[in-house]
Amino acid sequence: MKASRSILAVLLATSFSSVALAADVVKIAITGPFSGGSAPMGVSMRDGVKLAVFQINQRGGIVVGGKKMKVELVERDDEGKNDRGALIAQEISSMGDISAVIGTVNTGVAVMGDKYYVEKGIVKIITPAAGSASMTQWSKAGVKDLPIFRFASHDGIQAQMVVEKALRLGFTKVAILHDATNYGVSGRDDLIAQINKQGNKLKAVAVEKFAIGDKDMTGQLIKAKAAGAQAILIWGIGPELAAVASGKDKLGFKVPMIGGWTLSMSNFIDTAGASGNGALMPQTFIEDESIARAKPFIQAYHKAYNVSRIPSPVSAAQGYDAALLLAEAIHEAGSTSPAKIKVSLENLKVTVKGAISDWKKPWTKWNPLNVETHEAFRRATTVMGKVQNGHVILANPSEKFVLEGATTN
Amino acid sequence: MSAGVTIALRENTAERLVRLALFLGLAILPALWQGQYALGLLTLMAVYGVLLIGLDATVGYLGQVNLAQAALFGLGAYGTALAVQAGASFPIAMLAGIVAALLPGAALALPALRLEGPQFALSTLSFATLSVIFLNESESITHGALGISIIRPSLFTVTLDARGFYWLCLVVLFLAWWASEILLKSRFGLSIEALRDSPTATDALGIGTLRHKALAFAWGSALAGLAGALHALNFGYLQPAAFGYDLMVMLLLGVVFGGRRSQWGAFAGAAVVAMLPNLLSNRTLFLSLVTCGFILTLLPAIRALISRRLPSFRDAAPAGAMSLALALALLAHNVEDWRKGIFALFLFAAVVGLPDGLAGAVAAALHRLLRFTPDPLPQAAGGITMSEAISRALPLRTVQLSKSFGGVRAVDNVSLEIGQGETLGLIGPNGSGKTTFVNLVSGLYAPDGGSVEIAGNRPLPGKLMSAFSAGAARTFQNLQPFSGLTALESILVCQRTGGKREAMGWLRAVGLEANARDRCSDMSYGDLRFLEIARALATGPRVLMLDEPAAGMSKQDIVRLVDLIASIKRAGIPILLIEHHQDVVAELCDRVAVMDGGRVIALGTSAEIRRDPKVIEAYLGADDEETDGSTEREAQIC
Amino acid sequence: MDAKYLALAQMAVGGGLMGMAYALVAYGFQLTYAAGKAVNFGQGELVMLGAFAGISLSGIGLPYWATVLGAMVAGAALGWCIERVAVRLALQQRNEGWILLTIIVGLFSLSLVENIWGRDDRPYPTPWPAEALDFFGISVTWPELAIAAGALGIMTLVELAKRYTMVGIAVQAVSADPDAAELCGIRSRSAISLSWMVSGVAAAFAGTVIGPVTTVGPTMAAALTLKAFSVAVVAGLDSGFGLVLAGIALGVAENLSGYVLGSGWREAPGLILLILALSLRPQGVFGKKIIRKV
Repeated sequence: MKASRSILAVLLATSFSSVALAADVVKIAITGPFSGGSAPMGVSMRDGVKLAVFQINQRGGIVVGGKKMKVELVERDDEGKNDRGALIAQEISSMGDISAVIGTVNTGVAVMGDKYYVEKGIVKIITPAAGSASMTQWSKAGVKDLPIFRFASHDGIQAQMVVEKALRLGFTKVAILHDATNYGVSGRDDLIAQINKQGNKLKAVAVEKFAIGDKDMTGQLIKAKAAGAQAILIWGIGPELAAVASGKDKLGFKVPMIGGWTLSMSNFIDTAGASGNGALMPQTFIEDESIARAKPFIQAYHKAYNVSRIPSPVSAAQGYDAALLLAEAIHEAGSTSPAKIKVSLENLKVTVKGAISDWKKPWTKWNPLNVETHEAFRRATTVMGKVQNGHVILANPSEKFVLEGATTN
Repeated sequence: MSAGVTIALRENTAERLVRLALFLGLAILPALWQGQYALGLLTLMAVYGVLLIGLDATVGYLGQVNLAQAALFGLGAYGTALAVQAGASFPIAMLAGIVAALLPGAALALPALRLEGPQFALSTLSFATLSVIFLNESESITHGALGISIIRPSLFTVTLDARGFYWLCLVVLFLAWWASEILLKSRFGLSIEALRDSPTATDALGIGTLRHKALAFAWGSALAGLAGALHALNFGYLQPAAFGYDLMVMLLLGVVFGGRRSQWGAFAGAAVVAMLPNLLSNRTLFLSLVTCGFILTLLPAIRALISRRLPSFRDAAPAGAMSLALALALLAHNVEDWRKGIFALFLFAAVVGLPDGLAGAVAAALHRLLRFTPDPLPQAAGGITMSEAISRALPLRTVQLSKSFGGVRAVDNVSLEIGQGETLGLIGPNGSGKTTFVNLVSGLYAPDGGSVEIAGNRPLPGKLMSAFSAGAARTFQNLQPFSGLTALESILVCQRTGGKREAMGWLRAVGLEANARDRCSDMSYGDLRFLEIARALATGPRVLMLDEPAAGMSKQDIVRLVDLIASIKRAGIPILLIEHHQDVVAELCDRVAVMDGGRVIALGTSAEIRRDPKVIEAYLGADDEETDGSTEREAQIC
Repeated sequence: MDAKYLALAQMAVGGGLMGMAYALVAYGFQLTYAAGKAVNFGQGELVMLGAFAGISLSGIGLPYWATVLGAMVAGAALGWCIERVAVRLALQQRNEGWILLTIIVGLFSLSLVENIWGRDDRPYPTPWPAEALDFFGISVTWPELAIAAGALGIMTLVELAKRYTMVGIAVQAVSADPDAAELCGIRSRSAISLSWMVSGVAAAFAGTVIGPVTTVGPTMAAALTLKAFSVAVVAGLDSGFGLVLAGIALGVAENLSGYVLGSGWREAPGLILLILALSLRPQGVFGKKIIRKV
């Protein structure tokens, strides 16, 4: 009674008071699922960004127009839910002092929420969401000027690599398994499109889906086996991928799994155990300290978060590099205004040395006819990884030069 | 009741004024509270408001846990989105949303509404899961998990911006609130509340259970569809997964947190559901909220300690939950990680501390502080008369009626008749089958054999409503009051004709005129017995069955009761009277039937019965457990 | 056997075994419903907590059987807590608040687990051999068999205890009529507490046998609660071993329809059957008919 009235009063009072503009900080928002099923990706991405920001702040911050400004982070957990993501986008875009946003794991969240950033012209770097729709929605709409950038190897590239790999291994019949989310379904469509594009030399003899939370994949696998599939092309996330791997073992169905980058998630590798060995997936980053470029990042991450392995190394490294790129863009823009940061992200002058690569002008001026203008990763910067005994290694050691590689683009 | 400020307004009027002020305030809020986010939250609150007012129709008024509302919301949203894609205009798209929720809702109502409690919850839950599967798998229609994107069409010629759309949502909320209020405060709404308290009584008194339940559910579904339509037009992107179990739990918590059976409660719940999870992510706001909550929940515990008693669980638990929340908020390494947990603690404190919800607590506080002008009562009219032209048929005739439970023949070949204007007494030791006989006649049980004829009609066996339509009305040995209604409202829902004046007339006839505004839950046992008789009389019965009306009554009340039954008898209404007070039976009954072991062992005037050796043996031979006060066997047998 | 039928048989067997897991969790619903007519909507969270407790114990080097016992002890404590914190007050006030309070407690446990044990699914280590067994071409794994044996074992134990021990009989008396039981000197509150503890034990035990098959993670709770609730209500909340049949039926129906109609539709036929079954027999397929008394 009295309690509730005072709660309301406080609620209203605090929400009305506009946040005071702190003078000497750059505000960056991180959004993603930090709880729920896709949390490992969200949390790793967040921690990667935070690591970069911590290092930047340790050096005194970003030099903006001759003045050193510290970076302040605003974190928002979208729980992987679209409406919550959309509200968070509304919240961040109406805060008024946010320079840029990094994040989003679930493609649906990007599809529902990013329009609010576009309306306000707020810069967002999408990582690690790979679903095609988060960028193609803007080319379809014919948007002329886009403040949304992607820093992830999108499903188009990944599907291309997966199909190439299957062909190179000499397969003719494959089964496509995918989860029933936006990510899985659009991955399936990308795979089918790639099979067509690469001359229909592969035949998808079974196309099966599974729901988030399914642990028993026997039905899907029996069908794939009966149809004579020589490999499983798979699009899903950790726990369900692991269920497919162990289901395969149970049925004695010994064919390779080739799928999206999520096959490198620790919750797949750990849960699947031995049955996960040999799974192949496109990677932009591999948690391997023998790669000189990656070593400092990997060690810093392990130390900062007191872990011996990163839950989702790709998400973490992409978050880290995205934050470095953003910091450079803010420096070059000499301003915290999103409009200026957008322009300098499209025209980065300095090569940024990241954990994944040396980034030399990863993005260019947006052209709605070519989404690649706002995509940072190319086929050439992505390698095939393979699960072996609890770790992801290079499927083809000769590709190590890509990860060591000097420059990108 | 402690003295408070007297307000020269009726409560309804005051409530309407406050509500109007609320809506005006909400309408001008965007001018004060700038920004997309504020508008986004307010719009969401308005949409959830419509949705929760709909959910309250089942969860609050029907008193059943409905887990389908989130799915119906989703179906409505998809209906609208698909209509927009097909090129429908704004109003048509909204209509499509309502229809898309209403039709499946009606289909669900058929099997689900016969169920109650966990069974009802499960059938709605299954429906919800099915709906999401359907939305996910019908890729050719809904694009499945990829989701569906739409652009909001213009309303006639106006292109609504975010603020315009918010105002539209407010208007819809206002209308939904207003319509729900009219519907749920009308006779229909009273009937729903009555059937929540006693579905047996509502069926036996001809109010009907199923059609009211179906209507309440349909109304809730329609509002879910309406809210879904607004939701689709608001966000412009839908995915099936958004309408799953998580949303349902939030909605349910919203209704209970806000307060059931109240549009204000639904609105408060919507505000909490829409705002709280989002506002909690603001660190300062979050800390101040947790701190305030903690201090407030400490108050009851401190009050208990001051009055030197150990705080009860209800006093202490909210404080415990909030102190845990405060500790987490201050000590946790990353508060964002604990957001869900702290939200749960908040809810726990609120549900335990405010069992009637926010709205209930505020209303109780207001009633303590303010005194409103009461609604005027109309003049009583009418009284006890035989309602329709007397037909020639016997008011009641049973032929060889039988019913067994397991191996026990509770009623065994009972054939009885009641003549025009006759009062038949039915006596016998406990367990002799009297109440079972009334239950068979009134249609609560279906007989195993034999037939019932009421005023020349043959009702369907085992159907209370059918027996009622034939002309039977009854009272219950174990009271079946409509606890949530007032005495006057209890009569109003039972009346077949007439309005408040006639209802007052029935109350006057049983001597409860002064209790018209009392809630049944606050009335005395004896008064409730009289009210049950008034309820039965108000239906205009062809035969009235009174099941132990004097049980538990005081001496004075019994005298009143005898006078009342005598006046009913004078009006020519035939009565079947089950009674243990034999002086009552002797005074009122033309004939008396004695039952023992399910059979009628004697039938005659009370004088004849008193001398019947079989009757004396039944009473003295059987070790009956009469508890009605009379100690002498002789007196009991008449 | 024809490959097609073999596949169907494989699906049916797998579904049936998973159905036993549903039945085992559903048994927890029965226990609490019998005493006090309340159902714990956080039962899935209890299963999850039990499984995590077991994993932690095996993390400090205890053998599997000891982790099971330890988890059961933890389950008893948690069951008691839930009754004390979330259910007792609501039952005293005779309102439906328990549904919400149990959901809220479940929500809190979820957050607790996410923060203590992390958000990832984990395997539950067991001593069972890793290879699958082969029965006429149908493969079955050891952990799956353990679910079936465990479910039947613990249900038999509890049912025997209910019938042949004084405490069990007292609990049954309370479930039949708490007031009359009080008059006979049985403290109905203790009996209700005990039922919740046993229900917690059953849930935690379920966690330790289901965990090895499905892996253990914060997301396992909601799905289990819903499935088990369906099984409990369809079988009848007082149906005893009827649960096992209902559980197996649901598991088999799901797997077969997933196989025949496509995996997206796997739950649909089961749900339609469920609604139909309820509308025909509201008290549950194996439940006792309720007689309305007035």
